[in-house]
Amino acid sequence: MTLKRILYIASILATVVGLYGVFLRFTTGHQEAAYGSYVVWGLWVAMYLFYVGITAGAVVLASLDYVLHLPLFRGTGRLSLVLALITLGAGLFHIWLDLGHLERIWKVYLQGNPFSVMMQIVLGYTLLGLMMLVALYLTLRKPEGMILKWLLILAIPLALFLSGGVGALLGVQAARLFWHVGLFPAQFPVFSLASGVAVLLLTLGFFWDRRDPRLPQMLLVLGISSVVLQVVKLYFLWADFSQSLYGGVPHNVQAVQEVLFGPYWWAFWFGQVLIGALVPIAVLSQPRLARNPLWAGWMGAAILLGFAIARANIVFPALTVPELAALTTAFSDPRLEYRYFPSLMEWAVSVGITGAAGLTFLLAERWLPLVQVE
Amino acid sequence: MADPQDVLLRMQDDLKRALKKPVNERRWVMAIDLRKCVGCSACTIGCVAENKLPPGVVYRPVLEEEIGSYPNVTRRFIPRPCMQCDRPPCTPVCPVYATYKNAEGVVVVDYEQCIGCRYCITACPYAARTFDFGSFYNRGTAEKAGLIVGQTKATVYEQAANFEYGVQWTRRGEESPVGNVRKCHFCLHRVREGMLPECVTTCIGRATYFGDAWDPDALVSDLVGLPNVLRLKEELGTEPRVYYLL
Repeated sequence: MTLKRILYIASILATVVGLYGVFLRFTTGHQEAAYGSYVVWGLWVAMYLFYVGITAGAVVLASLDYVLHLPLFRGTGRLSLVLALITLGAGLFHIWLDLGHLERIWKVYLQGNPFSVMMQIVLGYTLLGLMMLVALYLTLRKPEGMILKWLLILAIPLALFLSGGVGALLGVQAARLFWHVGLFPAQFPVFSLASGVAVLLLTLGFFWDRRDPRLPQMLLVLGISSVVLQVVKLYFLWADFSQSLYGGVPHNVQAVQEVLFGPYWWAFWFGQVLIGALVPIAVLSQPRLARNPLWAGWMGAAILLGFAIARANIVFPALTVPELAALTTAFSDPRLEYRYFPSLMEWAVSVGITGAAGLTFLLAERWLPLVQVE
Repeated sequence: MADPQDVLLRMQDDLKRALKKPVNERRWVMAIDLRKCVGCSACTIGCVAENKLPPGVVYRPVLEEEIGSYPNVTRRFIPRPCMQCDRPPCTPVCPVYATYKNAEGVVVVDYEQCIGCRYCITACPYAARTFDFGSFYNRGTAEKAGLIVGQTKATVYEQAANFEYGVQWTRRGEESPVGNVRKCHFCLHRVREGMLPECVTTCIGRATYFGDAWDPDALVSDLVGLPNVLRLKEELGTEPRVYYLL
């Protein structure tokens, strides 16, 4: 059985699981969700951050082909655009289902508060999505046109601004010291770029035509970029956590300790650091392995897994620290607890959206001329 | 000689006087005397009953803290309503202007405007906002008639409307206020009708005070001017309108 066939089957099964989750969401509202009024954002918000992070990175990487016209990456632009659109859809669907009143989403567009970072991001990502749709259309009709180039030139700062904006969405919250880090809006674009490179590694490694003589070199360049970005990511992590622990402000220390030594310590150490960063650094810094499509593809997947966990480790810990210590015992209710693990419905929805995103990509790869070998 | 008038009656008079003033000339504040609070949680229960709060939604929990070490141990009770901050971090983050400070300075939620994104909950440093998940206390209980004493009446009670913000809200399916963020509003619907907030009237120790701080004759304006007054997390610059007397 080929890898592609396995991916088809896995994507379809995951989508079916997701349909069950979405059915539960529409028939029972938020009652089957595990988040509450204290840990108020859960898996879906983390996955939203994860997916839109990839979107921003993929948009920037599309410029290698359509703006910079790098011969090595010629033909990869459309792939990046499709990845950007699919991941944007996955991210926005996650966050839409997370709303208490999905039917009121139009209010953000027509009655929005321009001073709310959330409103700015919703509008910005909608605009970015439309720009990417037009860009994709142009790649099919007029790939050499100036409109496409200028569209991408405009999209890059927008994508970086939005990526930083997602950091600011959390960073502006002075009530949550773990988020209230000035570096957040600076870190997120780096994370996005790293996610974009990882998704390109994954798709080029698994789906690009092996007969293309440029493939090993493309993978090597992306691999080296990944190594650099992962080192920068680890440095950000170190800077953030060491400062917080050294500073000793209880709320902040508690959140960092939750990540490092809390109930889900293994997700951080094994998932985020080991599989998500150290192993890819070790593998991709070996040119022989970095040029190998399968190794590169799997390392792309590992980095993405690390980022998914990283997003969860950004969202949840800040919310598991009580704003006032005695709140933990003030009122007894499952919705008023400072613990969180996603419910079956939440997992089902996220697995399903991921499956649907994968299936969409597989179909796009089959029906659109995504792989353009010279 | 002590004033023979009960503080509730005095605050009632203060309230009536304040209501005669233009809306923007009132400054509703709350003072809570921690020396008088015995931690009975009557205010919490009164609030739940008044606003027909469902499971998981609480506007005024009472925080309990143990202080000192044996044998010098004591307990402190801190009722925590919404602070109705003058510089609320929860309102500017709302993407649709669903929560704002109204003309009387109370932070309110427009249930028909709220999209339920819960961004405001993350912004509040006092955890004063909760989300209505659409739960009912009797959800999941046996449905066979007569199996649970009082179940039918409890169901009717649970589904009775509340009158927050002067509007009749019945919790049905996914309709507001289900799917919305909810919070203490100083019982504005009662205040506008000349009644004190429910937590004030139910306080058995007369520990909670409410009124117009801009009325120099009001009891509450005396209290918030005392030197033993403290506000929660003042260092954040949120300017809370709830004052604690120590």
